[in-house]
Amino acid sequence: MSLNQKNLTLTQEKMSLGEDEVKETIIVKDLVKNYTTYLRKGLFKREKKVVHALKGISFDVKKGEVFGLLGPNGAGKTTTVKILSTLLLPDGGEARVLGYDVVKEAAEVRKVIGVSLSVEKGFFWKLTGRENLTYFGMLYGLNGEYLKNRVEKLLELVGLKQLEVTDKLYEEYSLGMKARLSLARALLIDPQVVILDEPTLGLDPPSARMLREMLVKIAHEDGKTVLVTTHNMFEAEMVCDRVAIINEGEIIALDTVERLKQRVADSVSLEIFTFLPAGIPQETLVLKLREATGYPSTIFAENGGYRVKVVVPPGDAGEATSKALRVLHEHKCSVRRVEIKEPTLEDVFIKLTGKTGF
Amino acid sequence: MSLKTLLKSGFTLEIYFYKNNRATFLAMFLWPYLMLALILGMGYLFGSPSAFRQNVRMDVDPVVYYVASTLIAMSALSVMWGVGGSILWYKWSGTLPYMLLSPNRMSTTLVFSFIPRYMLGVLIQLAEFAPLIMLIEGVSNGLVKIGILALAATVGMIPLLGFSALFASFLITIEEETNVLSWLNPLILLFSGAFYPAYLLPYWARLISQILPTTYTVELARLAAIVGAPPLAPITFLIGILLGIALIYNSLAYLLVGYGEKKAMKKGAI
Repeated sequence: MSLNQKNLTLTQEKMSLGEDEVKETIIVKDLVKNYTTYLRKGLFKREKKVVHALKGISFDVKKGEVFGLLGPNGAGKTTTVKILSTLLLPDGGEARVLGYDVVKEAAEVRKVIGVSLSVEKGFFWKLTGRENLTYFGMLYGLNGEYLKNRVEKLLELVGLKQLEVTDKLYEEYSLGMKARLSLARALLIDPQVVILDEPTLGLDPPSARMLREMLVKIAHEDGKTVLVTTHNMFEAEMVCDRVAIINEGEIIALDTVERLKQRVADSVSLEIFTFLPAGIPQETLVLKLREATGYPSTIFAENGGYRVKVVVPPGDAGEATSKALRVLHEHKCSVRRVEIKEPTLEDVFIKLTGKTGF
Repeated sequence: MSLKTLLKSGFTLEIYFYKNNRATFLAMFLWPYLMLALILGMGYLFGSPSAFRQNVRMDVDPVVYYVASTLIAMSALSVMWGVGGSILWYKWSGTLPYMLLSPNRMSTTLVFSFIPRYMLGVLIQLAEFAPLIMLIEGVSNGLVKIGILALAATVGMIPLLGFSALFASFLITIEEETNVLSWLNPLILLFSGAFYPAYLLPYWARLISQILPTTYTVELARLAAIVGAPPLAPITFLIGILLGIALIYNSLAYLLVGYGEKKAMKKGAI
């Protein structure tokens, strides 16, 4: 019996335990994780600091769905992913994957998950893409013809075969190719659950699009459960069936993208594309805009310029626009374009946290 | 998952590595000869083979002695360095989490993935020196000595495996990501009598040398270097001591390594 068949049998056995476990592939309950760090104070002194990475988060992921953990850097996304991948021990709470406890039954969890923690590293540089996949496949218990066929199938699935780079050394791969190989490795054991940490970070648009399409396909067509972390709101809207917004170690919202957007359905998004003169701190401008319009404002660096965003009720859009433009004019910011848009997931995050942090 | 799987995957990784790094492979064959030439050149410049025999208190051929002790010393070091040091390399290259996602204990994966590299390294070193040993000792004695060296390198590795796994978990837990083995290894070699015969060391150092497995592997190398047929009785005795030490050390390490692993995973060091 191949490892794959064994996994399937194990999973079926576990799933037969109860209806809940069929529906909920991943269950996270009151998960807590603290990191102790030491700040250097001179040559010999150091100060202890405890960082509360996860403050008792709870969520569940259903079979066959793409679930997004959305949040800024340092929100606790990677910590959650590492705990679910059995690479990090939590300080409290519980997490289960297909019914297996990630602490007490770590070996069983590893047999049913595929993981990608980074798109730009994690492979042997002096091995080719095919050799890397073959090695990790062997390490995960695959062998013989099954392994050979699996590697070939995955290289084709992620498009590396079509690019004719399967026998090129990994060190010669572009970031997009590395990301594809990383996804292929995550799928090596044909896992029931795929956990991906920022799978499109730094990718060019075509590669990112290809990966997003693949995530949706493996969940909706192949029935795998996909947990993906991202700080990209657009990506979360595109691929996720449900999204948990995580901020400073806490889940502040969890729902489908559509339902989350309904939370700001009574608002519109006023976006002003501008250039900021040197010497004006963004924080100062955000504060001035908030004072002038009366609504939370955020500024994003984008395409060499800046995007000022204010989420306002539709009736106030006109007045808020003129007030915001006045503030920008006073600070000698040259305005290129003004748009009023339907609310997005980004607006939900701004409304919930009062900041972007992305 | 079977240990065979880990050994097989580790072996495959090494073969791929050598295949794609032919210059490294060639250099591996050349540099020991360069080192040997340097050491012997200095030896002949400042001393003589007879003075050497007097110092080591055995009828040994200087060339065979240096070949044997180099091989044994390098092998002993590479166990500690290989398991302990490679964890840092895996961590820096980002491959460590993916290796640990194999359904085994962290230390099991690290140790058993390393063994093929070690064994291939020993085989390559033996292949490097085999012609030289056979040239000096003749084909039949040379083959026996090569066999003894292979046995010494294999048995000598076993006591160090548990502790090297312990070092590995310690290395990724400490904040300073430096390989402490780089200063520990020369001390191990010194106390084992690789640089100077152990009887020349002070009393307290001799006590340390007696509990180090490398002392017995170095002694095995010395016995393998004796001119003519090697003395099989003391060789068997030393192998017995090494296996006994292996049992004690690995049992002790097994008790501690779980704690080290847990600490590393709690800290988020992976």
